[in-house]
Amino acid sequence: MTQPKLDRLLPPEGVPLYFRVAGVGVRMAAQFADILITGVGAIALFLLLLAIDVVPPEALVAVAAMLFFIIRIPYYAASELVWNGQTIGKRMMKIKVVSADGQALTTQSLVVRNLMKEAEIFLPGTLVLTLTADALIPSLISLAWILGVIAVPVFNKRSQRLGDIIAGTYVIHLPKPILLPDMSKAIKPATATQPRFQFLTHQLEHYGAFELQTLEGFLRGAARSTGPEAHKRKKETMAAIVEQVRRKIDYADAVRPEDQLAFLKAFYKAQRAFLEQRQLFGDKRADKFHAEADKQG
Amino acid sequence: MSDADLIRSARFRQERESDWRRLSDLVDKAEGQGLHRMSFQEARDLADLYRQATTSLSIAREISLDRGLLEYLEALTSRAYLSVYAPQQRLGGIIRKFLTSGGPQAMRSSWRVTLLGFLCMAAGAIAGYFFYFDNPEWFFVFMPTELAGGRGPDASTDYLRSVIYGEEDGSGLGAFATYLFSHNTRIAIFVFGLGAFLCAPTVLLLFYNGLILGVFYALHIDRGLGWDLFGWLSIHGVTELSAICIAGAGGLKLGLAVLFPGQLTRRAALRDAGHDAVKLALIAAMMLVVAALLEGFGRQLVQDRTTRIAIGWGIGALWLLWFCMGGRKRS
Repeated sequence: MTQPKLDRLLPPEGVPLYFRVAGVGVRMAAQFADILITGVGAIALFLLLLAIDVVPPEALVAVAAMLFFIIRIPYYAASELVWNGQTIGKRMMKIKVVSADGQALTTQSLVVRNLMKEAEIFLPGTLVLTLTADALIPSLISLAWILGVIAVPVFNKRSQRLGDIIAGTYVIHLPKPILLPDMSKAIKPATATQPRFQFLTHQLEHYGAFELQTLEGFLRGAARSTGPEAHKRKKETMAAIVEQVRRKIDYADAVRPEDQLAFLKAFYKAQRAFLEQRQLFGDKRADKFHAEADKQG
Repeated sequence: MSDADLIRSARFRQERESDWRRLSDLVDKAEGQGLHRMSFQEARDLADLYRQATTSLSIAREISLDRGLLEYLEALTSRAYLSVYAPQQRLGGIIRKFLTSGGPQAMRSSWRVTLLGFLCMAAGAIAGYFFYFDNPEWFFVFMPTELAGGRGPDASTDYLRSVIYGEEDGSGLGAFATYLFSHNTRIAIFVFGLGAFLCAPTVLLLFYNGLILGVFYALHIDRGLGWDLFGWLSIHGVTELSAICIAGAGGLKLGLAVLFPGQLTRRAALRDAGHDAVKLALIAAMMLVVAALLEGFGRQLVQDRTTRIAIGWGIGALWLLWFCMGGRKRS
């Protein structure tokens, strides 16, 4: 699993939060959605004006450009203000503008970043659309401009464009809170048919947080129901894990195939209780190499 | 399962879970319909529960190794933070604030660069004027053909007069839109946008725009139409050319911040300068809209030279009054 680009933001409460910075691609997608929305609005208004016949034919293009301009200038700033840093396009892509200093977004920063959008995106965009091949030097200049504008967020730690830098904002992915069940509570009480697994302290010294959380991920996956093929594969993986754990921690008793899941759950709970207790005493164990790391440190 | 059987972090979670779920519901509500539509009770709970959740998060980071819980709390707290710290102002208030204080204050605090912008264009105009009297051929060098519209050293004096006082192709909405996106608006956008690239393009463009003005003016003086052109240009030009210079001043501010950041980093200096620069750009945009209105409607309706001059400079004086007096604190 590759770790996405995380960025640390310090709210006034002083507890740092970590956000995934939104990349150039997803922001472009949101931008296209917004252009589409404002464009449709402009076209509707344009058709209305045509219908009531106030537009002289020679000024059609100018009037259309003006309408698009009039609709889009307030659209971005107003929608980000009303929806707290999200335009409709951004809502669709589940991204959001945040203030880099951890405070609330100010109206000024939202207006600034969206006005700079005019100079950064729409101006070179219109230039490229309007320029023809015989106007070579202006074409090259606007091409260079576009490349420069794209280069700023690409070579930026937080993917900020110029307007973001001036306004002190950046764009993040909205995190999705999903509360998964606590795996340490999933243990069934011991019965006659199911023995109770006991682990001794020296058996819990081997693993660290990384292995524990990997096991947690596997147990969560095991709880999910899947097809027969996947079920068989899961059974095999579980047998392999149980074998590996037993060998590593010197667990003498054999584990019956039907007890394997219970064994892993019990081991997870015991291991987690042990590691959390060590952590409370200042002994954080990141992974199974913690003993060697301690020696070196 | 009894509480005693649970490990410490699981008990921690069990005690707080219902609060987290309530916070999650409140956050969904705040995101869906906005903070201002929530009841007082709910808004207060949201803030309280958010602060509790931040505490829970920092404890959980220390005591819990349950990755599911940690990820949930991270996401929940982040989400709650984003809805608690939402922008508090309304759009109407910010517009009024800009008009009554922010805009004029920005103009006053950047009067030096504004003056510099005007000087650049004036220097260009004077140079253009002398270029023309040196040799009228310079007219063709500086003046873009589509802007001249047939006016040049070869055109007859009658033709020049007819352009100044004659009927134009269109007026009303079409003309307004055309003028809004005319040469001058493009120049204004460029002088602002190119300012961040170290000032030079802004200064050059302002100077060049002055040159165009200078040769154009010299042509009309040469034919004895100086005052007539003055009226024709004044009615919208006072506002429009000022707008270009003000946009240029905004660009220069950005460029100067990049060139001479002082004690700040370049990024911080750019951000500081950006506040005023954007206000200048907004003012310039407003002025360009007014200028397009004057050009599209006013210039057709008013054919008299003196009235044109009076309107143009009268509106210019109003702008100046706004810049000088707006947003001053009463002492």
